[in-house]
Amino acid sequence: MEPASALAKGVEALDFGVAVWSNTGALQFCNRAFSRRFGKASPESLAGFSREEFLGEILRCSDLIVTTPAQTWIEQQIANFENNERDRLLFSDGSIHQLRHTPMPGGGTITVLSDFTEIIRSERSLEKERDKSAESERVKSRFLRAANHDLRQPLASLKILIYNCIEAQSDEEREQLLHNMDVSVSIMEDLLGALLNIGQLDAGRVEPKISTFQVSMILERMQIQFEHLATEKGLDFRVMPSNVALSSDRALLERIVSNFVANAVRYTDTGRVLVGCRRKGRNLRIQVTDTGPGIPETHYEDIFKEFFRISTKHSYRKHSLGLGLNIAKRMADVLDHRISVTSTPGKGSTFSIDVPIGSVWHSDMGEPDINERVGGEFSGLTALVIEDDDILRDALVSLLERWGMTVIVLDRYDNLQPSIADLENEPDLIITDYRLQGAVQGTDLVIEINDTLEKPCPAIVVTADTNPDLIKSIRQQGFPVLIKPVSPPSLRVTMHNLLYEPELVPEISGRTDDG
Amino acid sequence: MIPLSGPSAADAREFRNGMLMAADEINQRSGILGRKIELFFEDTGSQSAPEVVRAARHLIGHHNVHAIINGYNIGSQNSEYEVIADAGIIYIHHNTLLQHHDTVMSDPDRYFGCFMGDPAEYWYGQGFIKFLSWLRETGQWEPRNSRIAIISGNKPYSVVIANAMASATGQFGWDLVKRPIVVKSSTENWDEILDDIRAHDPAVLATTQFYSGDLARFHLKFMENPLPCLLYLQYGAMHRTFSEIVGDKGKGAIVGTVIGLPRDEIGKNFARMYTERFGANSTPEVGCQPYTSLHHYAIAAAIAGRTGGPGEAQVNRQVAQCLLNYTYRSVAGTIRYHPKWQSVVPYPDAVRDPSLGLPHLFYQIQGPDQERALIAPEPYADSQFELPPWLSDASVG
Repeated sequence: MEPASALAKGVEALDFGVAVWSNTGALQFCNRAFSRRFGKASPESLAGFSREEFLGEILRCSDLIVTTPAQTWIEQQIANFENNERDRLLFSDGSIHQLRHTPMPGGGTITVLSDFTEIIRSERSLEKERDKSAESERVKSRFLRAANHDLRQPLASLKILIYNCIEAQSDEEREQLLHNMDVSVSIMEDLLGALLNIGQLDAGRVEPKISTFQVSMILERMQIQFEHLATEKGLDFRVMPSNVALSSDRALLERIVSNFVANAVRYTDTGRVLVGCRRKGRNLRIQVTDTGPGIPETHYEDIFKEFFRISTKHSYRKHSLGLGLNIAKRMADVLDHRISVTSTPGKGSTFSIDVPIGSVWHSDMGEPDINERVGGEFSGLTALVIEDDDILRDALVSLLERWGMTVIVLDRYDNLQPSIADLENEPDLIITDYRLQGAVQGTDLVIEINDTLEKPCPAIVVTADTNPDLIKSIRQQGFPVLIKPVSPPSLRVTMHNLLYEPELVPEISGRTDDG
Repeated sequence: MIPLSGPSAADAREFRNGMLMAADEINQRSGILGRKIELFFEDTGSQSAPEVVRAARHLIGHHNVHAIINGYNIGSQNSEYEVIADAGIIYIHHNTLLQHHDTVMSDPDRYFGCFMGDPAEYWYGQGFIKFLSWLRETGQWEPRNSRIAIISGNKPYSVVIANAMASATGQFGWDLVKRPIVVKSSTENWDEILDDIRAHDPAVLATTQFYSGDLARFHLKFMENPLPCLLYLQYGAMHRTFSEIVGDKGKGAIVGTVIGLPRDEIGKNFARMYTERFGANSTPEVGCQPYTSLHHYAIAAAIAGRTGGPGEAQVNRQVAQCLLNYTYRSVAGTIRYHPKWQSVVPYPDAVRDPSLGLPHLFYQIQGPDQERALIAPEPYADSQFELPPWLSDASVG
């Protein structure tokens, strides 16, 4: 083979594009990889094109993505040719190619078109990793600075308090010091909790889980959480009821509102704290109003900054971390909910958050699985199980628990009365084996237990003994009998009838003498 | 397995009609992969465990059936599941019972073929409380107070619904006046029960009794001296028997169903064809249940490649997998099985997207000759809620 022919074949076989331009700027030759990338099957169809013609053609015919106006792009590309500048081209299949022009000895230019997609993706992912690592370092050091900043004070107090406590002369003094130690520890706890929140927010680890729920759930928890504290301070604490479905992250929203209420109770010495809601277009505004010292308008933005405290004159502010509102604001940002504040110094403040109203139909009931444990006919009832055989007893207990029952197991039959009196719930149903250890009969136990209970409890007797006379005698005492092994459907039918349709239980309704 | 001779005989006739209609339609298009569907009906009488188990044994042992598709049998406590699981065939029923979830989840491998073609009754309770809250929050109704009274029937179905209602009240800002009052079927002492409830002055009274006759007797008693509250009656009040007994007095009561016929083009077309075939007094809302499930079964079996008789569990596992995998837009709405419960997922109780669940429909009863007003949920509703006559009367409201 002639060297020229071999070279042409070699160039044709390359998996990247090559084009050769004459010194007048006309395309003399290109390989198939080059023409194909620009939507032309045959290299010959581009031969003889001037640079302008070539660029115009590929703009029309290829899947090149160009974001600048066509003429501007063509002029830019010609300048690149002339200045031997490299450029990257983006195609609609997501691939990125580099165009590289090199002058040839004796005139003309050779252009190489190479696929840079993978290289660029790797570069980008490396950049992302580097940014993430830098951010993580920044978060870590900020976390440590913050911890150092605010943990020192209660820690120092604690050291002094411990020393004083050792030296305390009286029980009273010791008690007071222990109380103060308790306060210091709770401040440290709060601080660590808040720092953890900040750390998670900084690291972008707080991902909202949006669901639909009733605002009353949040309001009720505010009532329980703060009523006692507010009343102890002599404040009039009111939570106005509201029934509106919200679409938000329940846990995050609760932390924000709880932060508003905690601040209101903390900084208000006299008067009242009111939590209420009102509709604002498609949102529900949850607002917390207090009769506290108020905030000057100049500080409306500052109060949401990290470690900001208006002044430490107020005794409570000495213990304030200056982090709560910052966390609340950042959580609200994560949720895309608007927080606002209005205040009159000397009269009080109102903090509010606007939450999108949801459809009550979509309310999340918080039950991952709908089964008999959460909603069956026996759910919430209590069964007393008396069975000596460990395996049978465990199987029965697990079945009853699966049906949503609370199960109490009785494994000692002497001294029965105190054991029954100690039970947390009175049973709704007793299931007993007939022959128990120590020649004890289940039916006798049931009678004894029912004498102790306020209201007699229906019972089922299970037995492995199939003697017809025995079964008849148990039934005549008014107990339905199930033969071991007991099948869940038959147990279910008997339990249902005993609890809800006793007229269907022949042993009770007396409709049979032997079944 | 349908209760042709018991207290649910009227429904059983509709179940039979639905099966006949679906089988004819499928057979006219050459059946399942060329094999015609042959139907066998077994009477389950009063729907007790022995009757239903006997029916299942007979269908499997004598007729060698490949699938059992039903309306409902609500007294068997799933006893028939054992016979069906042993045979390894497909079983689709409309028992509307939470027990189904429990049994299937207790051993998914054994009960692979057992499906419930409608949502569990549990959803009635939760859905009703959401419905009430929706009326309140959209300003369609301003309750006088937040108190709810519940009367429960004594069947597991009624007890579960009453419990589900009771447990959801608090979360939606309602107060239960007392634990649900459980009453016997055919109870006679309605005066005493209603007086007890009247003393609590509830804004809502819900009864979860099941049988139309019981509900009708209760309703007539209620209307003698109506309480100033919204009244909800369980599914039985959907039946023609109820309207025939209470007449005009039924107007204004709320009733719901987790499987019914939406009034869209598909639902209306089915209702028209059904009544043309089975007469103006037939009830397509009931007949649509097995009709829908037989069609879904035929599609699943065709995709699986064949049907399997008793002992061919491996084949039927494929069919079961297709029932789970292929959502079916039936005449009643979307049949989409929950992968763990193997029962149909309800909309809007469990999913936000109406294309992914069977609609839980709420109606307001009108006059005896008028169509019920379908008032919720969107996008199926075609009417607005109106205050019941006993509440819109100024002297009462």
